[in-house]
Amino acid sequence: MNRILVVDDEANIRLLYAEELADEGYEVATAATTAEAVEQLQKQNFDLAVLDIKLKNESGIELLQKIVKERHDMPVILCSAFSCYKDDFSAWLADSYVVKSGDLTELKEEIKRVLAKKAQRKASGM
Amino acid sequence: MDNAAVQWECCWDRDLTSLEDCPNLHEGDGDLLASRPRRFLEKCCDCDRFKTDLSRFRESGHPLAPFFAILHNDYRRQRSQIQSLGSFLDTKTLEVRFLHELGSVLQSSVDLDEVLSVALTAITSGKGFGMNRAFLLLADKERHFLRGHLAIGPRSAEEAGRTWQEVSTSDLDLQHLSRAFRQHKLSAERDKFQDILGRLVISMDNIHHIVIRSLEEKKPLLVQNAFQNPDVDQELAQLLGVDSFLILPMLARNRRVGAILADNVITRQPITEDDLRSIETFTFPVAFAIERASLYERLQVEVTKLQDANQRLQEQQELLVRMEKMALVGRITSSIAHSIRNPLMIIGGFARSILKATPEDDPKRGFIDSIVSEAQQMEEVLDEILTYSDALYPVRDFWDVNQLVETVLRDIQEKALSQNYACRFHPAEGLPSAYLDYKQLSYCLRNILVGTIDGLENGALEISTRLDGDRIEILIDDRSRRLSEDELEALLTPFAETHEMGSGLNLALCRNMLEKQDVPFLVVAPPDDGIRYSIKLPTRKEEEP
Repeated sequence: MNRILVVDDEANIRLLYAEELADEGYEVATAATTAEAVEQLQKQNFDLAVLDIKLKNESGIELLQKIVKERHDMPVILCSAFSCYKDDFSAWLADSYVVKSGDLTELKEEIKRVLAKKAQRKASGM
Repeated sequence: MDNAAVQWECCWDRDLTSLEDCPNLHEGDGDLLASRPRRFLEKCCDCDRFKTDLSRFRESGHPLAPFFAILHNDYRRQRSQIQSLGSFLDTKTLEVRFLHELGSVLQSSVDLDEVLSVALTAITSGKGFGMNRAFLLLADKERHFLRGHLAIGPRSAEEAGRTWQEVSTSDLDLQHLSRAFRQHKLSAERDKFQDILGRLVISMDNIHHIVIRSLEEKKPLLVQNAFQNPDVDQELAQLLGVDSFLILPMLARNRRVGAILADNVITRQPITEDDLRSIETFTFPVAFAIERASLYERLQVEVTKLQDANQRLQEQQELLVRMEKMALVGRITSSIAHSIRNPLMIIGGFARSILKATPEDDPKRGFIDSIVSEAQQMEEVLDEILTYSDALYPVRDFWDVNQLVETVLRDIQEKALSQNYACRFHPAEGLPSAYLDYKQLSYCLRNILVGTIDGLENGALEISTRLDGDRIEILIDDRSRRLSEDELEALLTPFAETHEMGSGLNLALCRNMLEKQDVPFLVVAPPDDGIRYSIKLPTRKEEEP
């Protein structure tokens, strides 16, 4: 079972993601701040992280940079209400970018795609 | 000699009572009857009878007689001198008056044509220097050449007779003469002498040319025997066709402004050194006036340029203010939209979750379904608003417009087919690339096309491209709809609605995006003739010439 870390400062969004992704068969952990996220990442291994970009007084992009640096084998999907971040070079470090929506179909499809890609990479020994 | 015994022929020793008593007295000399000394000095001294009396006096052997004769002769010589000095003074007074009048006219004008008209009229008018003809040569802007600029004078004896007759009967002063010349004859005179003026070109580096020499030496020259004179350029002599002419250099603050050539081509009257000296005094104010008028003309050009620049600056400022306002609106809407987005997403997301878990036959399923679809619709509106507010900084490059239109048409093909809407594209061939923001223009085109197709079936759209000056125009003709002026206005107003085409946000957004790229976007809806959209794209960056 793939384990996903969801990082978002909105409790309801964390809850929604946790419910929906669990329904899809993933094991989901959540974090409200970067500190919580780092702590979770240190405690256990995740197959994928879904990050919000604007976290109260913090930046999800900084967390992304940290993950890329320290856990480069773990794919990250950025999920934000701000479509403009798509054009931000630093956001390009992520494996995918999804604009937040009540319809989680796109997010779910991206998670599937990214995990499949990761599995393929692993299989080919890269 | 006993005076009482001598009978003098002249009446100098007698008191007279009538004008008939002396043959030298005429009507108007009445007051001389009362004053014998005045009569003696004014009349008797020139009288032949008095001269006879004087001879007889000398013959008498009187010791004072020779001395008296000396006094008489010297008195007559001095009187003649005084008379010629008086006449010289009169001439000079007239000259000074004329120069004063000329000076006043020249000083008060900054119009080059007026100054030139005054100068040339002064040289050629009978009230001025009375020359037959004058040519004005002016230094070009770079001060490399003197070029024939204007001329005045008759070209034939008949014309001379006619013109001089006209002038003599008109009794106009210099100012009015020059004004009449400027208003009625200036361009005609220029045309009349064009054959000569066109060939009057003298290099200012040619210091051997007599005109340039006159300028270099800063003194006017009287040229005599021009056809035989080795100092005179024969081409110039042939061109003027006269043996004698004046060269008047014009200098202002040591700057070589030009030269005037003047001659008596019709009357062939000799030009004298006196003529030269009289005219010399006039060249300084003329040169200064010409220089001042030329500078004023250049100043006017600069002022016009400045005014244009100022107007452009003002327009830019207004545009900036407008953009600032738009940016502010954009920031506010963006902020509101983002605040709404998260709760909306949560509502929609949970509604979907509940919907999934709700059995198909649950009567409440319809309500939940409504929440999902309403939330979905609100998210779409938010997307539009966010695109509107994000469209502040276009990224532009050169793109193939036909290819862009084809791509957009492919994108909307499915929608058009589903509504049986025909979209025909007529691309112009050989178009240059256009300078545009690909993403934004694609968005605008898509919006216009989708907005047109939406809600109508079996319609037809004609899309074409064409080169219009240095811009590429995209034309979209929708003949399936009719819009009133109010509806057209509403179509371009954010959040206004039209009965025919729904919310005006899309087109307002398109206009905003395109205006920021300096791309004119026009929508016209002639009565009973559909709707035409026109987008004019630049083919070069604005800073390129």
